[in-house]
Amino acid sequence: MTDRIVIKGTSNGLIITMGPGEWQGLIEDLSAQLGAKASFFKGGRVALRVGARQLTPAQLTAVGETLNSHNVSLWAVESEDAGTRQAAALLSLETDIGPAKSKVNPPRVARSNIDSIVTRRTLRSGQILRHSGNVVIIGDVNPGAEIQAGGDVIVWGRLRGSVHAGVKTGSEAIVCALQLSPMQLRIGDVITLPPPDDAQREMIPEIASVQNGQIIAEPWRG
Amino acid sequence: MSATVITITSGKGGVGKTTTTANLSAALAACGKKVVAIDADIGLRNLDVVMGLENRIVYDLVNVVEGTCRLRQAMIKDKRVDELYLIPAAQSRDKSALKPEDMVAVVDQLRDEFDFVIIDSPAGIEQGFKNAVAPADRVLIVTTPEVSAVRDADRIIGLIEAEEKGPADLIVNRLRLDMVKRGDMLTTDDVIDVLAINLIGIVPDDEKIIVSTNQGRPLVMENGSMAGQAFRNIGLRLMGQNVPFMSFEQPDTFMKRLSKFLMG
Repeated sequence: MTDRIVIKGTSNGLIITMGPGEWQGLIEDLSAQLGAKASFFKGGRVALRVGARQLTPAQLTAVGETLNSHNVSLWAVESEDAGTRQAAALLSLETDIGPAKSKVNPPRVARSNIDSIVTRRTLRSGQILRHSGNVVIIGDVNPGAEIQAGGDVIVWGRLRGSVHAGVKTGSEAIVCALQLSPMQLRIGDVITLPPPDDAQREMIPEIASVQNGQIIAEPWRG
Repeated sequence: MSATVITITSGKGGVGKTTTTANLSAALAACGKKVVAIDADIGLRNLDVVMGLENRIVYDLVNVVEGTCRLRQAMIKDKRVDELYLIPAAQSRDKSALKPEDMVAVVDQLRDEFDFVIIDSPAGIEQGFKNAVAPADRVLIVTTPEVSAVRDADRIIGLIEAEEKGPADLIVNRLRLDMVKRGDMLTTDDVIDVLAINLIGIVPDDEKIIVSTNQGRPLVMENGSMAGQAFRNIGLRLMGQNVPFMSFEQPDTFMKRLSKFLMG
């Protein structure tokens, strides 16, 4: 039954493609395969391709733990299912395996070329959402939570955590929220802390962008 | 009978998990429910002290899991209430002595016999927390109205959602009305504003709690304290009753009434 799981080495580390079949069974097969060649896989990093499967954060956590028990770390989960991509993003896993990484000067990507992810839940303290494209949150971003987005960040709720927008698109990116009082706000390479009296404000939708090398927040006027 | 398994947790230490466990267990038992409290804080056991059952421990939770004794033998009956039992933690071991599967297995043996299984979780987000939450049907998060405690509670709520154990309910413990009035303390609304989960109880700060935990006699066993009443109300809400939140206005003391009278 080993053809259900295809393990391929690339310049980006190992990519494991999970074929069709019952998920729990596949995980057990994978665990057995990793166990059989433990010395080969040891210390490696692995990306999973799961096709159109719908997986919950709990299931992905379980896979991560299985891999960890073989001394292999999971860094990305690629899926055609939006729910699975969201679950992966919530666990701070990459959702795009992509071509080989170049560490030097990531190219600035045009805004229209990057995809968006919509998350319909509140990000709580300690949760980090990383995504290479735009991020839309329908819910709050609580103090202690963090968003890192390649492009824009839109929060339909209260933004009280930390945000780094424009990781790819740079200072073109914008951040907007129904209540914009982040702990720390970065757009591209520009970083700002909100004024200290910012905490107790009413809900005024605001939009933040970089103007003349500074982050400026302006009230939203339809 | 099929038990409701409730885990009491918080993230931050010292916010009142153990006191809450002891008082809720006693309150539910006083209402005629059959209750067993489990101390999951292996290595730092406290629940036995707070419940006043310390001197009757022979076997503990780790003994049960390791098969040294039967489950029955580790259950200590509280003689002050009809159907209240305690399964104490081991004091000489650490959190790695248990696995989440072990907790699920132990609790499953209790489900048929009890109405409520109340689990006292250790502080933190590591193994001990995972053990305590694994068998839970419901999770109660205890926090105090302090920014640090609320931050940790938020983290815990996120972890519980990831384990698909939610939605959790919230207990705001040790609220001081005088400080809230002066604007020196977070209000319950401030806490709810961040955590956005269902509030199941507000417990006022009460010196009597310290006396009662030292004496090993849960406050709900006596009448006449606000904190005890607050815990009894949480017990009723857990049983599905709709109990309004109490007002914490203290009746004026004699001196205060006198001064009001003199000053007009």
